[in-house]
Amino acid sequence: MPNKYTYLFLLGLMFLSSFALLQKQEPGNYEYLSKTTEFEVGTPIVLKFSAPNSEKPLLYCSNSYGATLIAPVLTSGALTYTIPENMNKKIGILNWELRSDFSTNSGSLTLNPKAEVGNMETYIGPPSIEAGGTDYTMLVIIPTDSLDNPVPNNTLVTETHQFLASEEANSIYTNNFIAFKNLYSKKESGRLLVASECLGIHSKEFTINVAAAIPTDFSISATRPHAYADGNQITTFTTSILKDEHNNVVNDGTFVTFFITNQDKHILKTTGTTIDGVAQAKIIHPDHEAQWEIKAYVEGMSESPSIALTYQQVINDFEVAFSDKNRTINVGPLQSFMGQMIPDGLHVTLHIYKDKTLVNSIVKTSFNGYVHFNLNPAIYTSGHYNFSIETAGKSKEFNTKKLW
Amino acid sequence: MVSLNKNILRAILILSYIMVIAFILSGVSALFSYLNTGADRSTMLHTEIQNVEQYQPKLTWQPLQNEGRPMDEENLKALENDYLDAWYVKQMAYKTNTTAGIKDYYTDNARKNLYDFITLNKAKNITVEATTLHHNPTLEFFSEDGQLAILTDRHVVEYKHLFKAKQLVLETTETSTYKIVLLLEDGFWRIRHMVKEENAQYNFEKARISTDSLNIKGINYYPQATPWDMFGDQFSTEILSKDFKIIKNAGLNAIRIFIPYEDFGKANVRPEKLHKLKQTLDIAQAEALNVVVTLFDFYGDYSVMDWTLNQRHAETIVSAFKDHKAIIAWDIKNEPNLDFESRGKANVMAWLDQMIHLVKSIDTVRPVTIGWSNAESAPLLMDKVDFISFHYYEDLEQFEAAVKTLKSKVPSKPLVLQEFGLTSYSGFWKPFGASEEDQANYHKKIQELIAINNLQFMSWTLYDFTYIPKEVVGRLPWRKNAQKHFGFIDKNGTKKEAFNYITHE
Repeated sequence: MPNKYTYLFLLGLMFLSSFALLQKQEPGNYEYLSKTTEFEVGTPIVLKFSAPNSEKPLLYCSNSYGATLIAPVLTSGALTYTIPENMNKKIGILNWELRSDFSTNSGSLTLNPKAEVGNMETYIGPPSIEAGGTDYTMLVIIPTDSLDNPVPNNTLVTETHQFLASEEANSIYTNNFIAFKNLYSKKESGRLLVASECLGIHSKEFTINVAAAIPTDFSISATRPHAYADGNQITTFTTSILKDEHNNVVNDGTFVTFFITNQDKHILKTTGTTIDGVAQAKIIHPDHEAQWEIKAYVEGMSESPSIALTYQQVINDFEVAFSDKNRTINVGPLQSFMGQMIPDGLHVTLHIYKDKTLVNSIVKTSFNGYVHFNLNPAIYTSGHYNFSIETAGKSKEFNTKKLW
Repeated sequence: MVSLNKNILRAILILSYIMVIAFILSGVSALFSYLNTGADRSTMLHTEIQNVEQYQPKLTWQPLQNEGRPMDEENLKALENDYLDAWYVKQMAYKTNTTAGIKDYYTDNARKNLYDFITLNKAKNITVEATTLHHNPTLEFFSEDGQLAILTDRHVVEYKHLFKAKQLVLETTETSTYKIVLLLEDGFWRIRHMVKEENAQYNFEKARISTDSLNIKGINYYPQATPWDMFGDQFSTEILSKDFKIIKNAGLNAIRIFIPYEDFGKANVRPEKLHKLKQTLDIAQAEALNVVVTLFDFYGDYSVMDWTLNQRHAETIVSAFKDHKAIIAWDIKNEPNLDFESRGKANVMAWLDQMIHLVKSIDTVRPVTIGWSNAESAPLLMDKVDFISFHYYEDLEQFEAAVKTLKSKVPSKPLVLQEFGLTSYSGFWKPFGASEEDQANYHKKIQELIAINNLQFMSWTLYDFTYIPKEVVGRLPWRKNAQKHFGFIDKNGTKKEAFNYITHE
């Protein structure tokens, strides 16, 4: 009965395979065979374990940036696990664990950076500091190897810098992945050039602007074409050269404010910014006699002593003529200091009163030495009015003028 | 006949004309409304603030003694936020093997390292679910221009789940020390270098808490009007006082209450809820009742990315009340074994393990337990909890056998029958249900069994309820109605027969 044998054979096979299965389940220790625990980054790492059976457990491994599972290759009774390339490129601890149902193996490797510098990242800041020896900028260097790993502690970095006539070199050592140095300013302002070097690799050049410190007190002067209050010419104020306490000229664009106080304690203001330490500001002459006190400030930092200016009156008297039912008022001629017609644009104000209340004030500017006012009968009905006319600080009154 | 046909034809023509017009109109209007979407003016300025804290591991700054510029609060806070966000996006990236968010928190060079891992793990179908529970950063260096900082983050507690083809391969808790260089770029602190300097397996130190004096004879408590919403708007100290007096006078010495996770504000626990809990505990103390506080009610996620938020929740509550005399034990979670199927047993167990550790690290005096839903699950984590709590709603005939089996598995720890009871509902949805008399017999019987087996107990529950939220037993009326009648006191406030057997002395 061949059938019977076939069944027997099959049964036998089943029995054998179950035995094989059983054998597979036999407990066993995965002995860690590799002995090296320190590697340089970039070198291939293979972990070897003895294989007690044909199981192929996954190896867990984790480094600075992440974790993964590695499948083994089973060759002649040993399991070999190849650490992925992206993991053997990074320094730090690489810990692994091999877990089976019966045992847990774990350990860790240390990956060290290459003994070279591939790249230097340099950070310097602030980019602008103050002269005088108290302010400083900080140079931070992160040297890395060719696989972008920070170098070990106590790696020598040479820092060099040039300022005016001096050139200096300093040795600094890395700690916590970086080397840093504070570079203090000198008394002078100027440009500080900084560079660094580590294991034969040089950085770029960096520039720090050493700006003058805050200005010290300064003086001011005024120039003007003449001393008349003609409301037309321009007076220019000029500072002395603004410098800090170490004699450095302040940065261009330093803002200077000139405060002008007149005889009535009213304040006028004009401003300017420095170029080569000198700031200029301009203001138009007053149109009537005035005494000015001028003082300049760099706000919150320094100031000048005050200077005084006097402006002489140019128009001492003026004529007023009424015509056309007193509805046209002609003011002028308005004459300046040499008898010339005052330049166009002098303000003349006409105040119109009726029954002692102000009806209107009309402001006009002179043209060719004259100002004309026309009183519209639709607005200013017939009747008695008082007028007052002001110009160049003078005023004239005309009472109970009849308009009809 | 001809005219009729013509009319039919006309009608069809008119109808089809109307339908075509209607179709075109609806098409045009759909297009019009589509073109109008996104044109909401209120969205133009992006004024809405979308700042949800997703990742809140415990972070303790070591005293500031850094080199370089002195650090200030503002910058430190910004650095901390971005640093934790960097961890968060990394965990998310490795969980999903996608690169979303990495650009914001890692510099050009550093992000390559993460991308490499993502490519590798994606190719091998490996995912890593991880979280960090503890950070202890020391600021080593802060540059003068405020653009570069170096941290050493010592003993970062990292928990990892590694999956291959969606199968859990390994679960590990490690502590590692990292040195990190961060650069301030575009207003973000970004990681430039990250180096693991130390690594070790993390072992919980188990402090033995004495449970010798534990003698719980209690009841699960919810107010009658607001079951499963004890700390809501209708919270009333008068009702609690009245109820706690009833419990005390019935000869019981303990109650079990539940802290709903979301209602309490998740990671950022609401102060007003804490206040209500304090009032509850104060009243219990006044009545000399001990309280078993069950945390994480109505919580069922357990996902690794949620852990830090869960831990902040538990931390706030436990540290606020660890000195309260009324509390006798912390119950980590009610019936977590019911979530094994939907959330994965490994996940839930790991969550419980971590949470026990957290609670124990804050309150070193009070015992910790887990309210398992049946006696079979009760031996789980038996080494971690201080006493074993289990619920029993099955046949009383099997009760002694179940207890015996449990005792043989857990010989050395007290057993608390933490929930048991019988509904006295019998009506339309359950015509042959138990009567109030049956309920009384049930309690009489089980109290005898409790006495014989020397168990501690907490019954379910004081009151019959009139409203059951759907989150409790679902929407099915036969379940809801059954759940309404487990009480010793009926909905009118009359004591049911079972009240006589509320305890066995």
